[in-house]
This record gives sequence, C-alpha cells and structure tokens, in this order.
Amino acid sequence: MLRAARAQQQAQGTKRSWNVVVFSVGGMKFAARTEEVGEVSPWTEAIPVPSRTPFVQAMMKRDNRVMPVYDLAARLSCTVQGSPLLCLVARHLDGPMAICIDADVPSIETVEGTSIRPNDGGDIESLGSVIIGGHEVVILALQRLGRSTQDTVTR
Amino acid sequence: MPVERVSFLVVRLGGSYFALPAAGVRGLLTQAEAGYEQAVTAVGTVYQPVDLVQRLSVAAGLSSPDMRMVLYSTGLIQGAIRVEQVVGLVEVARQDCLPLPLQFQGDERSWFEGMTLYMDLLVLILNPLWALGESPGIATASVWQAEQPIVATPATVCGSC
Repeated sequence: MLRAARAQQQAQGTKRSWNVVVFSVGGMKFAARTEEVGEVSPWTEAIPVPSRTPFVQAMMKRDNRVMPVYDLAARLSCTVQGSPLLCLVARHLDGPMAICIDADVPSIETVEGTSIRPNDGGDIESLGSVIIGGHEVVILALQRLGRSTQDTVTR
Repeated sequence: MPVERVSFLVVRLGGSYFALPAAGVRGLLTQAEAGYEQAVTAVGTVYQPVDLVQRLSVAAGLSSPDMRMVLYSTGLIQGAIRVEQVVGLVEVARQDCLPLPLQFQGDERSWFEGMTLYMDLLVLILNPLWALGESPGIATASVWQAEQPIVATPATVCGSC
C-alpha cells in the first residue's frame, strides 16, 4: 500500500515538473527529458555504415562500446553549428544512440508539466512543446526518435 | 572454458571495413592476376563478378594498387568480389561478434550478420549469401549444414559467429 502511494506521488511529481536538457541543432533549440539523455560529450568522428534506414547511416565507437548515430540535423534539414561539436547520447528504447548537436553547451531547465502543450508541428517524435526563454521549444521523445520514419518506410 | 573463435577476411571498401567468413575464401588476386575479364576462372571454377560497391552503395576507389579480387564460395555459388584493400585474416572470439543495433531497420539487416571490433576498427560482418546474391531461403540451410551447424540462441548473432 505504501509502495502504491509512493508510486502515485512520483507520478504526480512527474506531472508537476520535468527536468529537461536544452540543446541546439542547427541553431534551433530542442529539449529532452533528462531521463532520456545518457551523456553529453565531445563529438568524435562517426564511422559510415551502409544502410537504408533513414538518418541512421553511421556508428560511433566509445571505448569498447559501439552505438548507432542518428542524424538529427539531416532530419531537420539543417547543419550543426559551432566547434567543437557535441555528442548527445539518447537513451533510445532500442539502445543508446548518438546524436551530433551544436557546440553550444546544453543547459538543464525545469518546466512545469502544465506548461507543456501538444506539439503542432507533428513531423518529429515529441512529447510536446514548452516556452523556455521566450521561445517555443519542442521536447523531443528521444526514446522513440526515428520510429515514425521507420514505420513510414516499412509501411 | 576455451574461447571459441571465428575467422574472417577483413577488407576495406571506401571508409568502411567488412568481414567475410574465412571459410568461404578461395583465393586473393591482384588486378594483374585477375585480369580485366568479367569472370575469373581459378582451379576449374568460374567466379562471376560481384559488384559489392554498387550493392552497398559505398564510394570506393578500386583502381588503387591495393585493390584485390576475393574469390569466394558459399558452397553453392561462387563470386569474385573486388575490394579496395585486404586488411587481413583475423580471428575473433565468438562472444565479440555483436548484432547490428536494433535502430538499423532497413535492408542492411540482411546485408550484415553483425559487427565486431578489430584493432580499433569497426568491422561489419557481411552475410555472404546476400553478398553473392544467393536466395537466402534456398541456401541458408544447405550451406550451414555443409559447413557449420548453427544453434539458434539469443547469443547467436549470425551464421558466422
């Protein structure tokens, strides 16, 4: 019973406020829930992999780990900016996935659950959008990034 | 417990490294040895050309002196595969053969049986049946029955590993 109450409290807490990592790709600001971000570190060269999966055409080696690279900039039809570029590791449902982001160091923000609105754009996997620093920022659903394009391809 | 090892011929095409199960390698020829004919005949066997560069859509320069022709056989079909460079024959612990990450969802899942790391290089393990253009449905069982029985377990990444 105590456990159930605690879970409910946690759920309410989750609804109340979200911690998000705010980063930019091609100068555009995006956010992602901190739980869905594994790490942010300097970008290292990606290894090309012949592939027909949209935006998944490379892999990255970190120590002895290898993870796929998701080309978010290509998906957004833009180019990452600044130097040195950064690597955001997404905690994707299929496993860790590297994303190249702008050189701007990401920040962590807390947003109220009630301030999150559905994302009207709808062409990228998102959890909604929120106003941060006077700008509307899409909260990317990193866990399922790429799944809608893959669905489109397989359909 | 002894570590089970598998052998591959590692080759380079463009910026990517690929591994072919070594059991199927029948020969390596230089451009001069291979000649410029479409098919290569060696020890009475005809090896039809396989354009892996085109099949994988990679940019590779096949005119360099390092270019080699790999004569390959799956047991049912033979092919002559032009590669930019032969890195070498390598042995890898079976446990170090990893599946392609699940994010790769396209045709590449049938192109590659998995991947491994060799000397800091990411090496993609080619599915020889696909590479040589065999119909997997026909060939898979017979080839593996002849050369290497495979037990389907979660740890089994591919036919070669």
